[in-house]
Amino acid sequence: MALLAKHPPKGSDNELLLAIAAGDRRALEALYLGYHRRLARFLCRFTPRYENVEEIINDTFMAVWQRAKDFRGESQVSTWILAIAYRTALNSLRRQKNHAAAQSLAGCPEQAIDPMLETDVQDWLNRGLDRLPIEQRLTLELAYHMGYSLEEIAAITGSPVGTVKARMFHARQKLREYLPALGGAVAESARGGE
Amino acid sequence: MSYEQHIEDTLEHQESSELIPWYVNGSIGELDRQRIEAHLQTCAACREDVLLERHVYRSMAADAAVEYIPAASLKRLQARLDTLHAEASPRDAPALEQRSRGSMPWQGWLAASIAAMAVALSLLAAERWMQIHNRMSSPNYYTVTSPQARPPGEVIRAVFSPTLTLVELQAILGEAQLKIVSGPTEAGVYSLAANSSRPVSLSLSLLRQHTAVRFAEITQPNARSSVAP
Repeated sequence: MALLAKHPPKGSDNELLLAIAAGDRRALEALYLGYHRRLARFLCRFTPRYENVEEIINDTFMAVWQRAKDFRGESQVSTWILAIAYRTALNSLRRQKNHAAAQSLAGCPEQAIDPMLETDVQDWLNRGLDRLPIEQRLTLELAYHMGYSLEEIAAITGSPVGTVKARMFHARQKLREYLPALGGAVAESARGGE
Repeated sequence: MSYEQHIEDTLEHQESSELIPWYVNGSIGELDRQRIEAHLQTCAACREDVLLERHVYRSMAADAAVEYIPAASLKRLQARLDTLHAEASPRDAPALEQRSRGSMPWQGWLAASIAAMAVALSLLAAERWMQIHNRMSSPNYYTVTSPQARPPGEVIRAVFSPTLTLVELQAILGEAQLKIVSGPTEAGVYSLAANSSRPVSLSLSLLRQHTAVRFAEITQPNARSSVAP
């Protein structure tokens, strides 16, 4: 399993951000290349269209370029960048027409996915995730793909810890509704794997 | 109520269940981890949850099959930064230009002020030079017999005691039949003229009799009073 590093070497990120604050374009490019993959993977949960993902990433780094001098080191650089990306993505979705459609997906949990018709658990999961409201989907993404702690997710999303817990709780509940057979399949695969 | 149902109704179960995702991703604190593991010993539902969440976690943590190529995106970001810079520069440029244009009169006044100051300094320097030159060409002291600036009609120069009152001065001058035509100078010198036809030598002699007169000298030895008797 190739879990992406949650925190790259802290010194390098902080140094790059300092250089960016001083107007160093090459430092911005280095930070961009270091974060692009993670952000793209994370933002794919917001929108399936890569053009939109790219636009959000670039909006995020425009904000990084302009606000680097305001970074006070109160959080990890990665948390700070993710928080900007999260807000940028939400704002972007609010501007888009498909935001309403994305939100309305939360209203169709009754359509459960039959895992027997799927060939891959990964596909089941992706379809289930796509049916979650954005905030719940991203809470799962931040915890499971990015490996962030409860407190870090609260910082990134600008939400209280209790809200993050509630989003995660509802996300898990809904996933089980969408994937009724997943539990059994998992249990079996887990038994087989252990 | 079954034992399992009882466990699931407890606050401990609720708290542990909420934290399972972070237990699974390994970001939970040590104290919470120990508490959850203790709870898992007695709660079958949470054990199943952990298995399920681990599966979801592994699936989500795996890299996506799609590989993103950031080079093209980065080029677009660089283009946006160039545009931002270009937009900022013309905005700054006219502002600078306007500031520059706006500062022209101010700069003109500055130049004029500098020129005026230069002229003033030159004049001051010239004046100073003249003062120095004058001091060098003439003694830097006064004498009671200095021939310069002799007032018209002056026949005697005299220095009186500084304690002399005006009344006493008038009495002395009246007796010698003299009058003040100029003075006192910085050195306390009075220029005196005759106000009668009395010989100047007699007037001088009368002055010199008074102890209050420190100095008295005829400046025009051959002069006689021009005043008609």
